[in-house]
Amino acid sequence: MSDFIELGIPQLAVATLLIIAAGVVSLALRLGVERRLGIAALRTVIQLGLLGLILEQVFALESAWLVAGLLILMTVFAAREAVTRASRGYRGILVDAWLTMAATCFVVGGMVTQVVVGVEPWYDPQYVIPLLGMILGNSLTGISLCLDRFMDHLVVRSAEVELRIAFGATRREALAAPLRDAVRTGMIPIINSMAAAGVVSLPGMMTGQILAGSPPLQAVAYQVVVMFMIAAAVAMGAMLVVVLAGRHFMGPDATLRLDRLTAKKS
Amino acid sequence: MAAFLECGPFSARDGEGRVLFDGVSVSLEAEQCVVIEGPSGGGKSTLLRHVTALAHSPDAIRRLDGEGYQGVMLPVWRSRVSLVAQDAPMIDGTVHENLSLPFSQRAGRDTKLDDVRAASLMTRVGLEKMPFEREVRTLSGGERHRLALVRGLLWDPPVLVADEPLSGLDPDIAIVCFELLLTFSRRPEKLLLCVLHDPAMNSRADRRLRLANGRLGEGA
Repeated sequence: MSDFIELGIPQLAVATLLIIAAGVVSLALRLGVERRLGIAALRTVIQLGLLGLILEQVFALESAWLVAGLLILMTVFAAREAVTRASRGYRGILVDAWLTMAATCFVVGGMVTQVVVGVEPWYDPQYVIPLLGMILGNSLTGISLCLDRFMDHLVVRSAEVELRIAFGATRREALAAPLRDAVRTGMIPIINSMAAAGVVSLPGMMTGQILAGSPPLQAVAYQVVVMFMIAAAVAMGAMLVVVLAGRHFMGPDATLRLDRLTAKKS
Repeated sequence: MAAFLECGPFSARDGEGRVLFDGVSVSLEAEQCVVIEGPSGGGKSTLLRHVTALAHSPDAIRRLDGEGYQGVMLPVWRSRVSLVAQDAPMIDGTVHENLSLPFSQRAGRDTKLDDVRAASLMTRVGLEKMPFEREVRTLSGGERHRLALVRGLLWDPPVLVADEPLSGLDPDIAIVCFELLLTFSRRPEKLLLCVLHDPAMNSRADRRLRLANGRLGEGA
């Protein structure tokens, strides 16, 4: 796969003209965003540059431990981000989010890299890191939506939940409706993007592969695998995270404990 | 002789942290209609939520007919000491789905909704024209309250706990509903515990309790 045009410093320098053009527009129209634009552009260069350097090292060292360590670090960051996006919280939400991320990555990522793609050796960073990164990036959206909706349902529709409890619902019965509602909400984005794939949007990964010189049908095959993988990860993750969260709000005695909700410090 | 229903001690605070009641226990005999009176905001609803185990009260003891309930047995307690809550909450769905809700859960697996009795009770409370397929979200407040009451009576638990079940009803309908509740409470192995806002009805209760200043005592 070397039939792509390499970009070097001169090419990037020319591309910088584009961001300067955007800055000129801001100045000419007095939009006042040129400073933020500059900082954002700088952050893009620095953050992606660092990532590139790290990935070059990880690719070069070919160490299973290093890859595993990086994956764990990625799950921690994803869990933090998922929790930050939710508008309510509870003690232990970060642990639940991390467990969910780790478990779905292990199961879905393991299946895709080891069984579907058949990566050799098992930790080959060229495949493992981008694939797992895509699982995390997408399931993080699903999981935070799902957690948010679950807690929202418990608060806004507490009268309905307690109606079932008042007639002797077990924990499972009392939480069935909030759980269904939350998992459905968490899955909507991936369903939408699967439905729109190729018609409304050209998926980023596929675009990247084509640019890198892959035959389009190969890129499509990978994209299909990735979409299915994300759907499975979101479904599993959403279900798991609300089951874990549910245990905080309801013990085996099926008493609804909304006092365990913590308001989000904004 | 031990009482039919015994539970407590219960303690609760309101949203601002003021003590509503502290160390309150409830001990009631069967075949009675018991009302709780007291100033509004005094914690009557909260006490009913403690009796029906909807509020978290880990230190409380609960006994019904000599049998104790705690921990994982609390769902069974709630199926026997059932609350008809204030504001008549409903699940999304039809009238029939709401009436059969208690029977659709594990606690109700050995019993079945009696459609004939359901229709007859609906007629008694003036809802004879309401089709079972009607969506509950289209009901008026008064209709919801009557439906909630009918649901509680159809479930027919040993102890029915009702929090202002007659609010928002026309006086003549309210009387009919109150008579239904009284009839329920006078049956063997049954007990009605409720909060009402009508002095005339309260005076017909077998026992009147008063919750005020954090204490539960005998009322007028």
